[in-house]
Amino acid sequence: MSAPSRSTVPPPGAVRSFDFPPVQAGALDNGLEIRSVQVGRLPVVTALVVLDAGEGLLDDSRGGLSVLTGDCLEGGTEKRSGVELAEALETIGAGLSIGTGWDSTTVSLSCMADRLDEAMSLLAEVIIQPSFPDEEVERIRGQRVAAIRQREMDPVGIATTASHRLTYAEGVPYGRPLGGTVESVGPFSRDAAAGFVAARYRPKGSGVVLVGDVDAGQVRSLVETHFGDWTGETELGPEIDAQPRTRERRIVVVDRADAVQSEIRIGHVGQARSTPHYFPLRILNTVLGGAFTSRLNLNLREEHGFTYGVRSRFMVRRGAGPWCVTAAVGTEVTADAVREAVTEITTLVAEGPTEEEVGAARDYLAGVFPLQLETTGQIAARIAELLIYGLPDDYYVGYRDRIRSVTLEEAHEAARQCIRPDEMTVVVGGDAEEIQGPLEELGWAPVTVEAAP
Amino acid sequence: MLSIPIERFTLDNGLRVNLSHDATTPVVAVNLWYGVGSRNEREGKTGFAHLFEHMMFQGSEHVPKNRHFELIERAGGSLNATTWFDRTNYFETVPSHHLELALWLESDRMGWMLPAMTQEKLDNQRDVVMNEKRQRYDNQPYGDWDEWIQAMVFPKSHPYHHTVIGSMADIEAATLEDVAEFFQTYYVPNNAVLTVCGDFARDEALDLIERHFGGIPRGGEIPPIPGEPDLDPVIGGTVRERVEAEVPLPRVLIASRVPTYTSDDFYAADLAGSVLGSGRASRLYRSLVRERRVAKDVVSFVLPLTSGAGMLLVWATGFPDGDPAELEAALVEEIDGLASVTDQELERAVALTETALVRQIEQVGERADLVSMFDQLFDDPERLNGELDRLRAVTPSELSTFVEGFLGPDNRAVLTYVPEPTNTPTPSAP
Repeated sequence: MSAPSRSTVPPPGAVRSFDFPPVQAGALDNGLEIRSVQVGRLPVVTALVVLDAGEGLLDDSRGGLSVLTGDCLEGGTEKRSGVELAEALETIGAGLSIGTGWDSTTVSLSCMADRLDEAMSLLAEVIIQPSFPDEEVERIRGQRVAAIRQREMDPVGIATTASHRLTYAEGVPYGRPLGGTVESVGPFSRDAAAGFVAARYRPKGSGVVLVGDVDAGQVRSLVETHFGDWTGETELGPEIDAQPRTRERRIVVVDRADAVQSEIRIGHVGQARSTPHYFPLRILNTVLGGAFTSRLNLNLREEHGFTYGVRSRFMVRRGAGPWCVTAAVGTEVTADAVREAVTEITTLVAEGPTEEEVGAARDYLAGVFPLQLETTGQIAARIAELLIYGLPDDYYVGYRDRIRSVTLEEAHEAARQCIRPDEMTVVVGGDAEEIQGPLEELGWAPVTVEAAP
Repeated sequence: MLSIPIERFTLDNGLRVNLSHDATTPVVAVNLWYGVGSRNEREGKTGFAHLFEHMMFQGSEHVPKNRHFELIERAGGSLNATTWFDRTNYFETVPSHHLELALWLESDRMGWMLPAMTQEKLDNQRDVVMNEKRQRYDNQPYGDWDEWIQAMVFPKSHPYHHTVIGSMADIEAATLEDVAEFFQTYYVPNNAVLTVCGDFARDEALDLIERHFGGIPRGGEIPPIPGEPDLDPVIGGTVRERVEAEVPLPRVLIASRVPTYTSDDFYAADLAGSVLGSGRASRLYRSLVRERRVAKDVVSFVLPLTSGAGMLLVWATGFPDGDPAELEAALVEEIDGLASVTDQELERAVALTETALVRQIEQVGERADLVSMFDQLFDDPERLNGELDRLRAVTPSELSTFVEGFLGPDNRAVLTYVPEPTNTPTPSAP
């Protein structure tokens, strides 16, 4: 066998094509959408129901209602108590998972394929016939209040909460914590949960997604059997006018005396899922802070050792979600880290990425796409996204081509349109006594200090 | 029940190799387990195995700094590494046509790491790791729990007495000489398992593995684990610590020594952990959260360790004005009550584990990691396929025997967190 030349990078082998698996689409007479993908590798199925019941529908006084209603689904159904429900689900190896976001509520489970009929029956029961017993509702509200107390003392929770509040104008839902506040969950009751379900858990406007070892014919009959008698429709929710709190640069320190690290958040109002810059922005964000080899991470971590890691994210939603750069850095290097991050952001917007960087980001995002579609849960979540944002069933077929076709100029234009360094708010959760002076010396923006909650 | 195909080979230099084919998605995982972890660290060197893991990403003779990440990301791959008590693992999942790239990168740092080491790189990664410790442990409510629990469950002379992340002082004191010695001692083919899982052509993969790893010389014998790994099966009493900390809610943790993962009795311990805390029909959730409402959340898990003893751990987080003594009593009552379990409870615990395991092995990276683990710990990669059957075979009476032997007051470490008085949320004025 010939000795390899270790000095050259091995060339790639023959490329095996990858196509997003075909999505079977249909609907019941009651308006419930059905999507399925057959993946027969392992005898497992993920089933989820996606409901147009996100937190973004709610004004601040009702913040947390959607999350709490989802939490309370475990309280039981008209047919069985919460304990009986848990026992029935877990006997077939299915844990119920309820995810509430700004745009939707997703109720999902995974089970072995031979238990799917029972699982679908229970899934339907949980969504169509929740019973919300008073004592369960009160218990779960108490748990939520305790979770909010935990968030208020958690360094990550403190910085993130302050960042969202300072990003959005008063009254924009995205400015509050997803699960609400102690005040807003105070009035939560059985009637509030039941009222929310009556309005938002409806077949027309919702979808069932099944992915795994199940064929399209079985899917149709399972959904018909278990969801066929469900009735009603949801109204369109209000549009979110995601106005910023300010268009001035500023630095806000949320004081945590003796903190050993500073939690940094840099950003402003970002983009909606429908942004025309969606693909260029994914490339741009990868260059800025979306990969290990991004500009921010190579600078703050690999060059300076300020942090364990730094990331940039555009949280795209129905309305314009936040754009946010996140890092936890040593207290003594806080101002240096802010300076380096702001400089990287400003330079990228002014000068744009290089052809090499855009090429690397295209290859990365197009290449990792199949890696993100290995499991039934991952595929189901991707399909749920299509339903939530009204995207076509064949959306993912051309997905990698759209990534690969982003040009340098489009990526630079996305930077100019979607990142405005002069409007960034920097939030630093940390020890004000140590970091306020150095942050002021940066001369980048006025510094104010507020107390942690 | 499971029938994951696994082919096993051993190279002349001692590197164990497993191939597990599955072409469902055109991706392939490369996974390496090195038989070294925090248990191999000597006094004054805690946290070094993990710091060393960071240094493995700082380049090797033919791969400049950052290049490993750049090449894998550009290939459309994902990568990482983790350090644990008994091992350190490194892994990439890449589109299948980039298999050779991943093998080349892993082999270069297995064979040719030291020429690339510099003081500047070490200084940089010491800073990164100290920030990792601050972020994940020091600046987190309850973040130091494992430091407390490990020190309470394992005596000072035992290799599990100290945490994987180690102490700041030890991390700070690490030198380039330490890096070289550690590399030469532990990062040798005869102390590693390589698993390739996913979409590959068998003969081509074998050829590539031989070509890239075959020339790396075998190392010496791996030194014995320092300290005294042998242990009494139980702690020998109930040890307690009470920590006043900047936490919002009281929390009580109870840990017990349990049989090692490599012992036949492990599966009863694992099942006990599931019956206690897996799912909302589990005993702790049902009793402490749903019925008595003394806990906001409950957690239970078993650490499958291999030197002397593993650990079963439960915890419950109370409400702001809750009484930790009440939490502890409720936890103890449920632990004691485990001496009698029903067939239905065992059925649920096994069913949940089955779904979780099958979902885990949907990803070739996870599957490769399990194959490497069973090879490294049991010298038997095929063991993966029988794991559920071993769990299913545990009877209620075996579980009772385990509970009586291992979960009594002679084998408990109880750690209680209470909010610092100044940080107790005060009732707000109307």
